[in-house]
Amino acid sequence: MLSYYDIDDILLGEEPISVVFQIGANGVGLLDPGSETNNVEKSAKVDLPFWLAHELFLRQAVSINVPSCYSLKTRKEIQADAACVDLRFRSPYFYELGCKLLPLVADKSIGPFLRYTFTSRYKEILCKSHSITGATPKFSSKLTKEESLLLEAARSSMVAFKKWRVGGSRLEKASILGRKRKPTMPTQPSGP
Amino acid sequence: MAGQSNPHLSIFSAPEVEFLAEDEVVEIVPNIKMDAVNMICGDFGPFFPQIATKVPLWLAVALKKRGKCSIRPPEWMFVERLTHVLEAERESPREFQPLPFHYVEMSKLLLDNAHEDIPDIYMVRSLIEDIRDVRFHKVETGLETISGRTHAVKLKNLSAMEVNIVRPFMVRALQAFYKHDSPEMIQQPESTVNRRAQVVDRGPRNIFVTVTGLNMILSVVAKSRDAFVVNNASFGAAAAAVSTTVMNCSL
Repeated sequence: MLSYYDIDDILLGEEPISVVFQIGANGVGLLDPGSETNNVEKSAKVDLPFWLAHELFLRQAVSINVPSCYSLKTRKEIQADAACVDLRFRSPYFYELGCKLLPLVADKSIGPFLRYTFTSRYKEILCKSHSITGATPKFSSKLTKEESLLLEAARSSMVAFKKWRVGGSRLEKASILGRKRKPTMPTQPSGP
Repeated sequence: MAGQSNPHLSIFSAPEVEFLAEDEVVEIVPNIKMDAVNMICGDFGPFFPQIATKVPLWLAVALKKRGKCSIRPPEWMFVERLTHVLEAERESPREFQPLPFHYVEMSKLLLDNAHEDIPDIYMVRSLIEDIRDVRFHKVETGLETISGRTHAVKLKNLSAMEVNIVRPFMVRALQAFYKHDSPEMIQQPESTVNRRAQVVDRGPRNIFVTVTGLNMILSVVAKSRDAFVVNNASFGAAAAAVSTTVMNCSL
């Protein structure tokens, strides 16, 4: 289900997910830092990366808990003022992880919650994205990966347009042509 | 046909849009006698002094740079006409006034290269800037109304450069909305009723006519001079096809 060539999907697979083991597992004690033996007990609570949690879930070895970034507390903050919540701190793959988790957990309200969050934060991105130039603004550090891609798409096209409007030569000089040759002589002896 | 500046995103850069705009026909008054020039795109001329003739913008600019002609500004580039357009743009918050599809690029080329042929050049320049700002603000206001699964957005009378600026943002935003508003994501209507009520009430969507239908990528028939930004279900390669179609239809 994770795309093999997509770097975001690969990084998304590393997100820690809290799971509860439904069966005892022998020989995998390293998954559970609290385990004294080399086994994971039944109903032990362990943090696993998403890719592993997903595979184990498909084999009905674990049940997945909803991560804290979709908790009731976060939802209340989002409802209060969606644009001010630092979602990147909670999970840079907030939306993507939510979409992947939805079929795996019982709590189906994540879907509408994601849509509500995106819709509210989209306004904020929209009204700032085409007007900013130069340095990236402060609020962009709160955006998740998907939101910052959206912001960057708007910003770069506006910057490109402004650059074109100001003018200049249509032919661009290759960067290598402007470089001055270094005056120093090569120090290493010439090889064969 | 897609832009060459970024083969992965298949978007046009501003100079590429300008290049496309150079095929627009303008009227020039040559001051030389010259035989007809035979180009792949057509034959132009012959040229006689003080006899007006029609040539593509690139040829007009090339002749102008050599001092061989004067360019007659197109009829929409006069102060009275532009003032009317600006007033109309300000009065109708949901509609765009009909202007040439390449008005941003043409005005830049003409203002840069033929400044002595345009009467009231400062006025014309600032009016065109104002018109562009007002129209862009309208586009942004319109984008605010997107709040759900929208398959396509129709923007009548939007010009090439304007749609080119918003295209990356709009396509991405539509993809995100498409993903988050899909039936798989919104499974239980009874639990989403109150949320849905919060989300939906964003005012009327008169600017954007949504085109529905699931296999809609290429089913949207673009009328000439209407700029479309189309959302698509399978991202990636299909997005390239869509952008291509958009530009082909518009040209």
